[in-house]
Amino acid sequence: MSASQSAVRSRAEAVKVSRTFDWMILFTLFFVVLGGYHIHYMLTGGDWDFWTDWKDRRLWVTVAPIVSITFPAAVQACLWYRYRLPYGAVVCILGLLLGEWVNRYLNFWGWTYFPVNFVFPSQLIPGAIALDVIMMLGGSMTLTAVAGGMAWGLLFYPGNWPVMAPLHVPVEYNGMMMTLADLQGYHYVRTGTPEYIRMVEKGTLRTFGKDVAPVSAFFSGFVSIIIYFLWHFFGRWFASTAFVDGENV
Amino acid sequence: MKLLKDKVAKLSFVALLAASSAAMLYTPTAAAHGEKSQAAFMRMRTIHWFDLNWSKEEVKVNDTMTVTGKFLVFAGWPETVDKPDIAFLNVGIPGPVFIRAGSWIGGQLVPRSVSLELGETYEFKVLLKARRPGDWHVHSMMNVKGGGPIIGPGKWTTITGSMKDFVNPVTTLTGETINLETYNLENTYFWHTLWYAIGLAWLAYWVRKPMFIPRSIAVESGKANTLITNTDRQVGIGFIVGTIALVAMTMVSTNEKYPVTTPLQAGLLRGMKPYEMPARTVTVKVEDATYRVPGRAMQMTLKVTNNGDSAVRLGEFNTASVRFLDPAVLEDTTGYPDDLLAEEGLTVSDNSPLKPGQTRTIQVTASDAAWEVYRLADLIYDPDSRFAGLLFFFDENGKRQMITVDAPLIPVFI
Repeated sequence: MSASQSAVRSRAEAVKVSRTFDWMILFTLFFVVLGGYHIHYMLTGGDWDFWTDWKDRRLWVTVAPIVSITFPAAVQACLWYRYRLPYGAVVCILGLLLGEWVNRYLNFWGWTYFPVNFVFPSQLIPGAIALDVIMMLGGSMTLTAVAGGMAWGLLFYPGNWPVMAPLHVPVEYNGMMMTLADLQGYHYVRTGTPEYIRMVEKGTLRTFGKDVAPVSAFFSGFVSIIIYFLWHFFGRWFASTAFVDGENV
Repeated sequence: MKLLKDKVAKLSFVALLAASSAAMLYTPTAAAHGEKSQAAFMRMRTIHWFDLNWSKEEVKVNDTMTVTGKFLVFAGWPETVDKPDIAFLNVGIPGPVFIRAGSWIGGQLVPRSVSLELGETYEFKVLLKARRPGDWHVHSMMNVKGGGPIIGPGKWTTITGSMKDFVNPVTTLTGETINLETYNLENTYFWHTLWYAIGLAWLAYWVRKPMFIPRSIAVESGKANTLITNTDRQVGIGFIVGTIALVAMTMVSTNEKYPVTTPLQAGLLRGMKPYEMPARTVTVKVEDATYRVPGRAMQMTLKVTNNGDSAVRLGEFNTASVRFLDPAVLEDTTGYPDDLLAEEGLTVSDNSPLKPGQTRTIQVTASDAAWEVYRLADLIYDPDSRFAGLLFFFDENGKRQMITVDAPLIPVFI
């Protein structure tokens, strides 16, 4: 067989090879994204995602969406503009959550015995579906950034609330009031994470009374729009193909 | 050349075998928390822990024990370490082998960070509930913002039983009693599984069709718009509407199920009540201090004046949680950890009772292997070569008074 001949001899064989290629790429993409995104999210979101006593109404709501929209924007850019595949954000989040759950279960619980109900990861699937569907329906990066980025920020807190609300039930403990999440952080000793490291309920959003979560979510959505643009271009650049003239090689 | 190559290969193989065998056959449990690695001046000139007591050496799962004692926030706090304006009373244990059921400074619960004053002594108590069986080194510890963890003495404690039996009951302000160890776990698994399944369904919808090669060819040939069908759009609308509806409905139902929720609690506790130590009637001036490297001994020349009405004797020198005792004056009966106790480590040139109104210059030697074992001798390599510690004097009635010393230290190498 010469180099100019096809590697397949029939349409059926071509389809079979193509599908095999599909699965190989998807498998590789899933685990490469899992590794890279996981490290990125642990380094930037870190403690806000690790512990329930960091998941507050202000900073968790603000920080987690902003630092997590990065890889979905980049992978979405690649998969959409090269293949018109609208699952870049969802595949990223599926990878991230699988990695996070393996980490939380094997390391946090299996290795250091922190209970899983104290160290579970944040939920990001609702925002990822919104990003992908908006990209598919609009076919526009700008629309996806503005509408999708805002949805990403807005859906984060309510998407996590069914899991977090039970941990915000108050308790009276030795004469002080705290939430069950606070109590988890106090009970389950973290020698290297003293209480003052915890960045919760800090800031100047004091004129909104108790309703600071929606304001934080809107702010998070705005910044997510900007971050989406930035990382979308990273994805476009990363997915570009540059051919070099043979004579210049 | 071949002979050389063969030899290298053979030796490499033997080395690899030896290294793997050593790694497999010798796997000791990590037994410390890096307390010996912490700079000596940090342990000698920041928080002085004393009167430590561990209520039990063996405890069953679900049973409790206490670590109690006092700590002096040293007035000569080093410039290179942030002051303890924001600090947190912690325990140094390998993860949550115990749960911290309570911790108090001066009788006040301190689940949050606190502000401590230089020169003050505080009484503390930490209540621990046994959770995970094993032998654990339990330290007192103070985290200082900008200063890091300042670890106190540690004692080995054994937890017996099974972790499966551990329970952590808590009654909420809504009247429900829950087991915090497993509370909300099923709910967490349910929602994460459900959303993961929804995400997988979206992915499955697309991966069932040919993906990369045919779609790439279509995009390259200008037919990208044909790749998204009306059905795809309808499915997409279904997913986004379903997602938003599910999020909204669960938000409402969750609020109905948990009508009372509060924000996370945070803040700094100020005004910790100091412990009133007995009035000091003895004054001490450090004339000079040397550390003799070959002899692992620190020698101080002290000018001691007794301004009280009872004769006193020097019984103990305590620095970095290592206690040097003069057995003629003081014997430890508290079960203090052996490795931190030099029962005969304090020698005083003249330790006869110092009568009221008398002044005497004495040579005090604190010698023990602990200087090396606990790497306190490394003090001579610190940027500010000073030592500090607590001297405990005892009068005829056994009453104790504590004097702090803080002076330059000159190393003697020969």
